[in-house]
Amino acid sequence: MWQILLFSAGLLVLTVISAGSVYLVNKARDDSKWVVHTIEAENQINALLLEIRRAESAARGYLLTQGADFKADHDKAVAAIIPALDKLTRLTGDNPAQRGNIEKLSAAIEIRLGQFKQELDFIGQNRPDKAIAQVREAASTDTTAEISKVAVSMIQEEERLFRLRSVNSDRSQTLAASMTGIGSGLVVLLTLISIWLVRRSVRARDEAEARLRDAYANLETVVDERTADLREANNEIQRFAYIVSHDLRSPLVNIMGFTSELEELGGDIFRRIGGLTHVPADGPPLADGEVTLEGPDKELSADFSEALGFIKSSIAKMDRLISAILNLTREGRREFVPEKIDTRELIEAIVSTLAHQSAEAQAEIHVAPLPDLVSDRLALEQIFSNLIDNAIKYLKAGAPGEIRIRGRTKLGYAIFEISDNGRGIDPKDHQRIFDLFRRAGTQDKPGQGIGLAHVRALVRRLGGTMSVSSELNTGSTFTITLPITWNASNRNADQ
Amino acid sequence: MTQPVTIIMIEDDEGHARLIERNIRRSGVNNEIIPFANGTDAMKHLFGADGTGLVQKGNALLILLDLNLPDMTGIDILKQIKENKYLKASPVVVLTTTDDSQEIKRCYELGCNVYITKPVNYENFANAIRQLGLFFSVIQVPPAAS
Repeated sequence: MWQILLFSAGLLVLTVISAGSVYLVNKARDDSKWVVHTIEAENQINALLLEIRRAESAARGYLLTQGADFKADHDKAVAAIIPALDKLTRLTGDNPAQRGNIEKLSAAIEIRLGQFKQELDFIGQNRPDKAIAQVREAASTDTTAEISKVAVSMIQEEERLFRLRSVNSDRSQTLAASMTGIGSGLVVLLTLISIWLVRRSVRARDEAEARLRDAYANLETVVDERTADLREANNEIQRFAYIVSHDLRSPLVNIMGFTSELEELGGDIFRRIGGLTHVPADGPPLADGEVTLEGPDKELSADFSEALGFIKSSIAKMDRLISAILNLTREGRREFVPEKIDTRELIEAIVSTLAHQSAEAQAEIHVAPLPDLVSDRLALEQIFSNLIDNAIKYLKAGAPGEIRIRGRTKLGYAIFEISDNGRGIDPKDHQRIFDLFRRAGTQDKPGQGIGLAHVRALVRRLGGTMSVSSELNTGSTFTITLPITWNASNRNADQ
Repeated sequence: MTQPVTIIMIEDDEGHARLIERNIRRSGVNNEIIPFANGTDAMKHLFGADGTGLVQKGNALLILLDLNLPDMTGIDILKQIKENKYLKASPVVVLTTTDDSQEIKRCYELGCNVYITKPVNYENFANAIRQLGLFFSVIQVPPAAS
């Protein structure tokens, strides 16, 4: 902004100076020309007067000596007078005052030339007395004086003009000089301001750069601190989950154990009751195991077994959940071993282990060429087998399934898509399905709600992200983005 | 000449102790079982007041050891038993709820003879204990160094 303004101002000043200088220089030249012109006019007047005097003196010489030399001299002078007069007329033609003088001068000169002619004529007729009389007459008349007077006034006029024009010329030159001076000064000033501004902006930029560098360095430390905090928190959670699930297991062993004991005890008690009720009044007691309960006893036994059944199935479920948490935390603590992996081969192997399930579900699995990775083999196997297993598991009943696995690379990341034409997931459940122990849709398949939580945890540990796009009844696509080369330093440091 | 084997059971959970004992008895093992609910008492019994283990010299012992004890870890006890010249010949059976492979590996490295995970599935648990009973009857517990 400032720079543009400054630049425009500089340009403007330069233009004005240039135009002004050109104008003033022209004017000065003009003025000088006029000064020269005046001097020329003055010279011409003097030259004319000189010629007249020459003619006069030559005429007198001729009169005295009658030498042909004087006559020739006189003739030459007279011949020069008219052209000189013409030239003077031309030179002073621009000045009305001088024009009047010229007219007077011309008249006087004409008279004087007439007198010269008469004198010479008289001498030519050899009547010197007449000529002398003529000279005397000429001297007595004021023609010569008139010429002198007019010439003097002309010279005065020209001198007046000379003074005037000299002053003009000086003024023009002074003006041009000062204009150039002021302009140069302005340019220098603008240049100085520009330099100052440039230096100021350079300094500002340097400062900003330094601040930016500081902020960047600061940011890195902040990020490092946060990362360390998060890692610490994550480790804490994992330890917590591990201890909790581990310690929960201990009482569960007792519950299950004594429930089984109770079951056995119950069996014993009911056998006993059966035995007692069936004992014939006088016969020996029946053998164990062969008793059948009747009526209310049978109902009691059934209720007892049912209650124990619920307890046992609940314990089994709780045990599975605890095991799942334990496995997840254990997975979170496992150290990754990156190696070069032929992704397609790995997925083909998974597909072949799932061949039975996919045949049962009438599903076809298409594996497109996939980008290879350097990553943890076990983690990748778990990720893909969970996703493919899910795709087979949640196909639409009765319709042939089609599962496609595609891959591409982008900016150091490999993007995998596992899509199916299955039952799909309601968009409102898209977040939920990744939560531990949470499932979505019709609950007609066995499962704990662990798979996707596990997969997402693994993908995150591998430095990637995952997302789902799906609609009910049209199928789902799970997208996984993983770094092509897993870097041990970025995530594994929390071990 | 053969001295009856005494079973030392170090288990803080009373219920577990009871279940273990019951299943051992069911499998037909009638040896004496001395239960301890914490590590300190067990250590005192095993190593004696002087801590040298001399008190157990010549006794045939079998140790059932839980890894999660309130006052110390079973790993420590296992380590000390296997480092003691009077006790190191005694078989140690580790019983725990953990099926962590790292921990199992560590126990075997320290010289545990059998590692049994306490499964919640009771039948499995009972089977394991009963097999342990068979194991007791088969192995000849060597007399401690004399």
